[in-house]
Amino acid sequence: MSLLSVAGVTKRFGGVTANRDISFEVQPGELIGIIGPNGSGKSTLFEIISGFYHPDAGEVRLDGGRLTGLSPDRVCRLGVARTFQKLRPFAGLTVVDNVMVGALTRTHDVRHARARARELLERVGLSEKAEAHARTLSTGQRKRLELARALATEPRILLLDEVTGGVDQRTIPGLVQLVRDLHRDGLTLLVIEHNMRVITAVAQRIVALYLGEKIADGTPDVVTRDRRVVDAYLGQVYTQ
Amino acid sequence: MHAIPQLLASTILLGGIYALIAVGLTLIFGVMRIVNFAHGEFLMLGMYLAFWSFTLLGLDPYVTLVLGLPLIFGGGWLSYRLVMRPVIHASHNVQVFTTVGLSIALQALALVLWSADSQFVRTSYYAVVVRFAGIALNLAQIAAFVVAVLFTASLFAFMRWSYTGKVMRATAQDRHAAALMGIDTGRVFALTWAVGITCVGAAGVMLAPIYPVYPSVGLQFVLIAYVAVVLGGLGDMAGALIASLVVAAVEVTSSYAIGTAWKEVLYLLLFIAILTIRPAGLFGQRGAEVIGT
Amino acid sequence: MRDPRPALAFFAVAALAPLVVRDAFLLDGLILILMWGASAAAWNVAGGYAGQLSLGHSAFFGLGAYSAALLGTRWGISPWIGLIVGAVLATAFGFILGFLSNRLRGPYFGLATIAFSQVLLLVASRWRGFTSGSEGIPVPFRPGFWTLGIADKRVWVYLVLVLAVLLYLVEVYLERSRRGYQLAAVREDEDAALSLGVAARRLKVAAIAVSAALTAACGTLWAQYVGFVDPYYVFSVDLSVRFCLAAILGGIGTPLGPFLGAAVITMLETSLRARFGGIGAGLIGIYLIIYGVVLILTMRFAPQGLLPWVGQRLRWRPGLGPTS
Repeated sequence: MSLLSVAGVTKRFGGVTANRDISFEVQPGELIGIIGPNGSGKSTLFEIISGFYHPDAGEVRLDGGRLTGLSPDRVCRLGVARTFQKLRPFAGLTVVDNVMVGALTRTHDVRHARARARELLERVGLSEKAEAHARTLSTGQRKRLELARALATEPRILLLDEVTGGVDQRTIPGLVQLVRDLHRDGLTLLVIEHNMRVITAVAQRIVALYLGEKIADGTPDVVTRDRRVVDAYLGQVYTQ
Repeated sequence: MHAIPQLLASTILLGGIYALIAVGLTLIFGVMRIVNFAHGEFLMLGMYLAFWSFTLLGLDPYVTLVLGLPLIFGGGWLSYRLVMRPVIHASHNVQVFTTVGLSIALQALALVLWSADSQFVRTSYYAVVVRFAGIALNLAQIAAFVVAVLFTASLFAFMRWSYTGKVMRATAQDRHAAALMGIDTGRVFALTWAVGITCVGAAGVMLAPIYPVYPSVGLQFVLIAYVAVVLGGLGDMAGALIASLVVAAVEVTSSYAIGTAWKEVLYLLLFIAILTIRPAGLFGQRGAEVIGT
Repeated sequence: MRDPRPALAFFAVAALAPLVVRDAFLLDGLILILMWGASAAAWNVAGGYAGQLSLGHSAFFGLGAYSAALLGTRWGISPWIGLIVGAVLATAFGFILGFLSNRLRGPYFGLATIAFSQVLLLVASRWRGFTSGSEGIPVPFRPGFWTLGIADKRVWVYLVLVLAVLLYLVEVYLERSRRGYQLAAVREDEDAALSLGVAARRLKVAAIAVSAALTAACGTLWAQYVGFVDPYYVFSVDLSVRFCLAAILGGIGTPLGPFLGAAVITMLETSLRARFGGIGAGLIGIYLIIYGVVLILTMRFAPQGLLPWVGQRLRWRPGLGPTS
């Protein structure tokens, strides 16, 4: 059975149909890229999967169990974590406190949570900044924090929303390697990305959205050559 | 059955006055995104202004209104410069508590200057009642209504057709974009605040002949105004106008039906009910109550 | 971590004072400081720690005061029972307010809380049959611990001290515990907290309900101490603002802040009263003007409160995290 199953998801906002009849399956251990021009409904899809929006039609299932209609915190506790495109650190808290909030969803023991938080900060390379206030971090560091925080909730599937967006070129390889490592360690990932180099390098499968509809679903090779994807988004066939 | 024309007339008169208070409040929120907890105190100060000039100078409130308008406007501008401008970019909470502080200070000022006793502005005509078509209306109320309508209409016209009005509406929609377009948002805010205060101060001057004047009179009116503002949708001036009539209708009919003692409870419960069921108001967008937009 | 020494010093001074001080006036001041401090700390549970800035907490205070007073005058029931009844009632109303807090953000919530407290004021002041209407209720003084009829101010100091310390500990718990971290996350960014599995809505409601119950307890004790319940005071917006003012001045979101803020306010009030004694309304006006101005200035220059401001000057970290 698929880990995550998205079936017929449709969402309208007033006159705009942000998602129209979107369906795809995610198997355990897969890393799937979600691509498409701005306004194609990628973030809306994430909002629906993570429980912040309820779809007008269709459903999302995790391991067969229904996710649609549940509150976002319930969805997280069931094993779906996410990062936000517009970063949302808890600015007034320290870096380690930030991650602890995530860890405390899985453990009730504060000391245990702190230890776990420190481990994760080590993993993403933010150990030095543990006691700093989150608002003092640079964009690249905030991305790592957001990642560590989400990981602290011990998710079965992680939704990453444009993890390389707004980050300078030098930091990207580090972030990409981090994502690769997480995947290699068994985490299932859904990744929204605009950077084609990044996504074709890490994704096993790509789902392309355009104007709220799924227009392609396949391996990077296939999708980047797909006529509709090229017309709608790439502009020309993408080659390495 | 013949109570209906009377109720209707009373509703319109009262609604007109509430509209003047509510419109200023919603303007300030619409452009500046500030919920002004001190709005009632400016009403109160307007009432005391009328009282002072009546007892000390023998001036009729309507004369005071004309002569005092620049004073009220100036007071509004000054309160913006001194109190609000430093926190205009701060968080909502900081702004809220700043206006709360202003409210406390102004009420206390009134207490010190005039004591807690109720004061009355007994003009020569305050008891005159006009009768027609089976309806009896207080002359002072009619006059207040007429002035309120004039003010509100002018404000609408100003916002709709003048350049400055357009600038204010632009700032209301997106202050950052407005600033990028070269609009001096600081001035817009100062003007908006001053205009809002002027409306409510003027309303105060005109209410002086009708209601007793005491330092905390502002609270009662501002709660009503807030019911109207929320019902009409925060920031929506036309909505505030219509909602004022609705609120006045509720007040007038419940006064008639269940007596004055409990009518306040009724519209406070109405307020809480609106906030619970449809906080965006009758005309607002759902979700608009989550401020930040 | 945080430094408990200032709190220890504060409570130690309070505990030792009755042994040294005989002056009833000074003891009265101390009792009021502890009482207002406790009330402000109770407010802080909802306002500082859960980020729900209520301007209507006098509703709960009044419920506590009235419960004890009514049960005592009408049926001769002990104020301790009255305290529990008041707390239970306040909790119920707290759940309502909590529900509202999930529907409304920021200033809208503040408005609703004001409306709430005013409804209770109107009901209490108009319901002559039950609450003696606008005249208020004199609280009967029946000597004895069970009836909270205590004449010795020194005993009152210890009684209120227990309440104050209890509230302080509740706040400290909110800082160090799992719930505390989650609440901090909720007040920083509710959606982000939700995405991490924090049951934000339930937490807020719980915080407000707890805050309500504790505020009611303060109201009960206050009514017994002062001996009279006046609806226009006990449900007033002024009183609600007093709770927030104390917490904000002293440092919103810090455990000792509300007590320090209450100390400043109470000392100011009592010294002005002593200085100008008997000039009535004019006097009330003056210290209220000062409150208003102090609030405005604090919001301008030290929005996290005076205590954190001082702490920053001395290079201390007084709290888990500011709320502004």
